[in-house]
Amino acid sequence: MKKILLLVTVVLMACAFTISNATAKTIKIGLMCPLTGAYASEGQDMKRIVTLLAKEVNARGGIRGDKVKIILADDGSDARTSSMAAQKLTTKGIVAVIGTYGSSNTEATQNIYDESEIIQVATGSTSVRLTEKGLKYFFRTSPRDDSQGLVAFKAIEAKQVRKVAVLHDNSSYSKGLADEIVKHLRKTKIKVVFEDALTPKENDYTVILTKMKAARPDFIFFTGYFGEAGLLLKQKREMNWDVPFMGGDATNNTDLVKIAGRKAAAGFECISPLLPGDLTDRSAKQFMKNYKARYNSLPNSIWSVLAGDAFKVIVEAIKATGSTDPDKMADYMHNDLKDVPGLTGKISFNKKGDRIGDVYRVYKINSNGEFILK
Amino acid sequence: MELFFQQFTNGLTVGSIYALIALGYTMVYGVLKLINFAHGDLFTIGAYLGLTLLTCFSLAGYLGVFAGIFLLTVMVFCLVGIIGVILERTAYKPLRSSPRLSAVVSALGASIFFQNAVMLIYGARVRVYPQNILPSFALDIYGVHLPVVRVMIFAVSIALMAALYFFIQRTKTGVAIRAAAIDQGAAKLMGINVNKTISIVFLIGPALGGVAGLMVGLYYGQVNFTMGWSYGLKAFIAAILGGIGNIPGAMLGGMLLGVIEALGAAYFSVAWKDAIAFFVLIMILIFKPTGLLGERVAEKV
Repeated sequence: MKKILLLVTVVLMACAFTISNATAKTIKIGLMCPLTGAYASEGQDMKRIVTLLAKEVNARGGIRGDKVKIILADDGSDARTSSMAAQKLTTKGIVAVIGTYGSSNTEATQNIYDESEIIQVATGSTSVRLTEKGLKYFFRTSPRDDSQGLVAFKAIEAKQVRKVAVLHDNSSYSKGLADEIVKHLRKTKIKVVFEDALTPKENDYTVILTKMKAARPDFIFFTGYFGEAGLLLKQKREMNWDVPFMGGDATNNTDLVKIAGRKAAAGFECISPLLPGDLTDRSAKQFMKNYKARYNSLPNSIWSVLAGDAFKVIVEAIKATGSTDPDKMADYMHNDLKDVPGLTGKISFNKKGDRIGDVYRVYKINSNGEFILK
Repeated sequence: MELFFQQFTNGLTVGSIYALIALGYTMVYGVLKLINFAHGDLFTIGAYLGLTLLTCFSLAGYLGVFAGIFLLTVMVFCLVGIIGVILERTAYKPLRSSPRLSAVVSALGASIFFQNAVMLIYGARVRVYPQNILPSFALDIYGVHLPVVRVMIFAVSIALMAALYFFIQRTKTGVAIRAAAIDQGAAKLMGINVNKTISIVFLIGPALGGVAGLMVGLYYGQVNFTMGWSYGLKAFIAAILGGIGNIPGAMLGGMLLGVIEALGAAYFSVAWKDAIAFFVLIMILIFKPTGLLGERVAEKV
C-alpha cells in the first residue's frame, strides 16, 4: 500500500504544478480514473476519451466562450487512493468530477465530493447502493447491477439449464451482482449448486474449477472481471471441461480473448452495454473514427466511453444553466436534462441520479475471437 | 480420493512457483538481513523479458520447443540476474552501513521504480504470450488430470532448487555465501570477498525469480505489471513459513503454502483460502517462531 501512496503523491504533485499555470478564464472539470494499478488500462482509455472530447469542445469555442480544462487525478484502482485523489481534487476549484471505474472506489469518494458540493458523474460504477443514499450531487452514466442482474437471470433462464454455478470475486460490484442473480434463481426451479468467490489477480484457478466441476453444474456465471474470466476459460479448456460459461459486464473486454486464446474463448457469452465498435449513433461513430485516427485503436471497453458521456452531460448542464453553481446544475440534471445525445445513446437521469433506460445486451464470442451482438 | 490428489497436484504447481520466488527472498535475507521488496518486481521483469525475447527472436520457431525454451530460460536467467546485481550496487550497497530501515525504504522505492518502469515501457494493458508454444497434452493417472506443462513447471523448479542446494553446499562460492551469512566481518577476515559474494547472491536470487516469472508467463499466458505484488507477497510468506534465511526452508514453505491453499479452498471455501493459509502460518509461527526449518542457523544462507 505504501508504494501506491507514494506514487499518488507524486502524480498529484505533478497535477498541482500544471494547475498553477492555468489561467483564470477556464472551467475546470476533474477526471478521477485508474491510471495505475489493476484497472490502469481502463483509466488510460478514460483519460484519452475525455481529453479528446475536451479538445473538441475547446476547438468549437469552449462552453459559452470559456475554455474547458481537465484536471486529472489517479485513483490507483483502489479505494484508499481514490479517497485521497478526491480530497486533492476538491481543492483544485473543479466544477464537477468524472469518475471513477469500480464501485468500491467510487463509493470511497462519494461523501467527499458531496460535502464539497461538487457534481460527481460516475462511469464504471454499477453497484446498486451508490444511488440509494440520497446524495444530491451524485449521478452515473453506467447502468445498475439490479437491472443487469435481471437481464443475466433471464439469459440463464432462457438456456433451460437446471444446475448453475455462480462465481464472484468478493468486490462490492461482483458480489452485488452475484447476489442479485442468486436471488432471482432461488425463486425458480433452477438450482444454485456452487456459489463462491475467487481471489482476483492470481493466475491459477484450477483449484476453484476442480471444486466447481465436482458440483456438476451445467452452466457457470462469473460476475468478476475480464482478466480472471480469460484465465478461467483457458484453464477450463485445459481440464477438458466443456460447460457453457457466461460473464457479467466487466468481462466485455477484448483482452479476454487474448488471455484465454481464441479456442477457449469461443462460445463465451457476456452481458454488456453496447461495445465501442457497435455504437449506432452517428456522432458516436464519428468520435470513434477520430479516436482511432488519434490513438490507433478503439477503446478496450464501454466503461471508458461512459466517461465521455459523463463529460458531455456536465458540459450540457453548464451550457443550459449558464452557471457552474452545483445546486443549479444538479437541479437541472435531475429534472430538465432530457435525452442528451451521448456516445452510448440518449442520456437522462431519474431523481436518484441513475441513468434512465435499458442498455444491456447479450454478446457472444465467435470462433474468430470477436464479440458479436446477439 | 481422486479429487484430493487432483487438488494436491494443483497446489504443488502453484507452490513450486512460490518456492522459486521465495528462494530469492531467503538468500538475500540470509546474507544481508534485508527483505528485498523489489524481488516481486524482478519476477515481473523476468516475465516481460521472456515475452520480448520470445516475440522478437521467435526462438521456439528456429530451435524447436524444448531447445528454444531452454535458451530462453538461460537468457532470462542471465538478464534478470544482471538487473539484480545492478539493483544491489545502486540501491542497497551505498546503504549497507546505514540503519536497516533505510535499506528497507530503498527496497520499497526500487519496487515502485521497477513496477512503473515496466508499466511505462510495456503499457498498462495485459500483455499476452504467444499461444500454443507449449505442448498441450495431458496425462491421466487414475483419474487425476495432469497437463504435462504443470508437471514440467514442477520438475524445472525442483531441478533449479536442487542445483542451487548443491551449489551452496558443495562449491567454494557456496561456502563463501554461507560464511558471509553467518558473520560478514569474520568472513572478510578469512579472506572472503564479501562484496563479490553478495553480488553472487543478488545474481542468483533475482535470476530464479525471473525464471519463475518466465514460467508463469509461458504457462498462464498473461502478464501484467502488477503481477509481482501478489506473487511476491505469497513467496515472502512462504520464506517465513519455512524459516527465512534457510534455503530448504524456502522450498518447503513454498510447496506447503501452495498445497495448504489448494486443500483449504477445496475442502472449506474458495473465498476463505487465503484466510486458511494465513491461519496455518500463524499457528506454525506461534509454536515455532523461527519457521519450520529455521533452527539450522549454521547452514542458513
